[in-house]
Amino acid sequence: MKTRRQIETIGLALLLAAGSVMLSLTPCLAQEPKPDPAGVATGDKTNVYDAGGNAFVVTEPADKTAPGYADAKKAADEFKAQAEKEPLAVKLADSVGHLRVGTNFAWTLNTGYLVLFMQAGFALLTCGLVRKKNAGHLMMLNFAAYVFAFIAYYICGYAFQFGAAAVNAAPANLGGTPTLNHFLLGSGQWGFLGGSGFFMAGPAYDAGSNVYALFEVVFMETAGYIIVGSICERITFGAFLLCELFVGAILYPIFGCWVWGGGWLSQLGSSMNLGHGYVDFAGSTVVHAVGGFCAMALSICLGPRLGKFGPDGKARAFPAHNLVYVVTGTFILLFGWMGFNPGSTLGATDLRISVVAINTNLAAVAGSASAMLFWYMKFGKPDVTMACNGMLAGLVAITAPCAFVGPTSAFIIGIIAGIVVCAGVLFNDNVTKIDDPCGAISVHGFCGVLGSLCLGIFADGTYGAGWNGVGAASYLGSAGKGVTGLLYGDSSQFLVQCLGAVVCVAWAFGATFLVFKIVNAMKSMRVSKEVEQEGLDVPEFGLQAYPEDSLHPSEV
Amino acid sequence: MKKIEAIIQPHKLDEVKEALIAIGVEGLTISESRGHGRQKGHTETYRGAEYKVDFVPKVKLELVVPDPRVNQVVSAIVASAKSGRIGDGKIFVIPCEDAIRIRNGESGDAVL
Repeated sequence: MKTRRQIETIGLALLLAAGSVMLSLTPCLAQEPKPDPAGVATGDKTNVYDAGGNAFVVTEPADKTAPGYADAKKAADEFKAQAEKEPLAVKLADSVGHLRVGTNFAWTLNTGYLVLFMQAGFALLTCGLVRKKNAGHLMMLNFAAYVFAFIAYYICGYAFQFGAAAVNAAPANLGGTPTLNHFLLGSGQWGFLGGSGFFMAGPAYDAGSNVYALFEVVFMETAGYIIVGSICERITFGAFLLCELFVGAILYPIFGCWVWGGGWLSQLGSSMNLGHGYVDFAGSTVVHAVGGFCAMALSICLGPRLGKFGPDGKARAFPAHNLVYVVTGTFILLFGWMGFNPGSTLGATDLRISVVAINTNLAAVAGSASAMLFWYMKFGKPDVTMACNGMLAGLVAITAPCAFVGPTSAFIIGIIAGIVVCAGVLFNDNVTKIDDPCGAISVHGFCGVLGSLCLGIFADGTYGAGWNGVGAASYLGSAGKGVTGLLYGDSSQFLVQCLGAVVCVAWAFGATFLVFKIVNAMKSMRVSKEVEQEGLDVPEFGLQAYPEDSLHPSEV
Repeated sequence: MKKIEAIIQPHKLDEVKEALIAIGVEGLTISESRGHGRQKGHTETYRGAEYKVDFVPKVKLELVVPDPRVNQVVSAIVASAKSGRIGDGKIFVIPCEDAIRIRNGESGDAVL
């Protein structure tokens, strides 16, 4: 009962705090530009581009001292003269722009729904990997993760992450969300925390912003789910809810702001001349490594499951209770990943989506193959659960570089990831002695970092010209050159990828460890020894996942 | 009358059942069970950690027969359950006091 009261108090405090922040920001709501909840003003001629990314509307250059000023001014004048001659073409462009944004809305929403379905994959995968006696508890954790992390993200997570998106990282494909333009901490190229759109209201009550919010909230949920795989079979439900609120409101959004919300890491290219700044296409670090290292910190705070390590310190096996769930769950995750990566273009009008989809699949099969073969050679039998982990490892590792590399590189990245995940599982069992029931730390943590580094190595410069505001016209001396890795001549990109990965690990592990070490000291986050031995299903929720296993006296 | 308990390999159940029906056995009870004999199970690895399967799945067969039929039944089970490899199981023959039919209270060899 004490736990419940504590949770209620904390929840109420969070709500009140967020509410007061929102009220203090109300005066900002009156300022321009205005949000567009009905979507009737989103998408006009300014959203029309040709295949090469050249805008239909040529705007007047502002800086008269810039080197190309004369040419730019001439082009703008020509456009103006033509527009006056052909007003119907300009009107048509308004319709085309609206249609273009509409197409991208449809793409982004639908890929978001695919990512949402990944939650079912995670639930099946992790449930299959644990022991029968904890299956019901695990399903409840998976379910509550979606619910409570979503609420936290609604209250302040979205605002922290994307409250300043329009400053440096406007999602042009979705109309640019011009109303989300305020940093709470920092400004310009050194933003640390977004500060508008609390409760997804006010400036965030906008059609474009809501597409963005749906797509991004399901990404946050993925990070929220990852931790379940490491802390299951021993955490109390109350403590788990705190973890989810922490991930959804603070841990995930803050790092997300630094990389995707126009924050300081993404701007290191413009501010410090480091490649295109820190680049993570779909979240190897922003989603997976944050979840993986948060899981690692939580697992250390909780300690290993009873009997996981014998008196001699040797790891013991708790075999998966349902391999059917494990494999089905993995395939659902692969399917969902077809939304996760290609959807991260935020637009179907970005035709790179097909390359992204193929790269994602290639890395998945390569990761699974190498994990299977590694296990076959080391232990004489391929392990089904490791083959599945290998597929996920390949997927996690390709998530950051998927848009910037070619198929050969994607395949190589997958192979490396499959080996890293096997080595990671053995490393945690035999060296660090961190208990990780579903391999979440290895799959998402280690391979997430790997993905970020691989982007800095394998990016081939064919995509991403102008990424994070760097090299829109030319980069490394050639026009249209995009994000480029070490092997293709940009060592500064590799450097900034290393820096970003280190920051990610330090933030995700450090912040989680600090907060939950304190929480754990105040009240143990772990169930009692007796409960753990009996299985958590009945003591925590009063119901078993498979109730026919326990015979009821009257039915015998 | 004797009770015969046989612990056999699960995949041999069908053959044993056919053999017993062929020699005219009418009543038979089976249960799924686990156990080990001298071979002491086997070792497997799961995600790199070794674990022992101490008790392997078996089927336990129970039937009660009149004394004169014991040898015939035992040899039928041995012939049908045998693969010649370790883990084929064992047969136990136990004296049985009486047998009673619940429906009408009948007892003795007539019940079998």
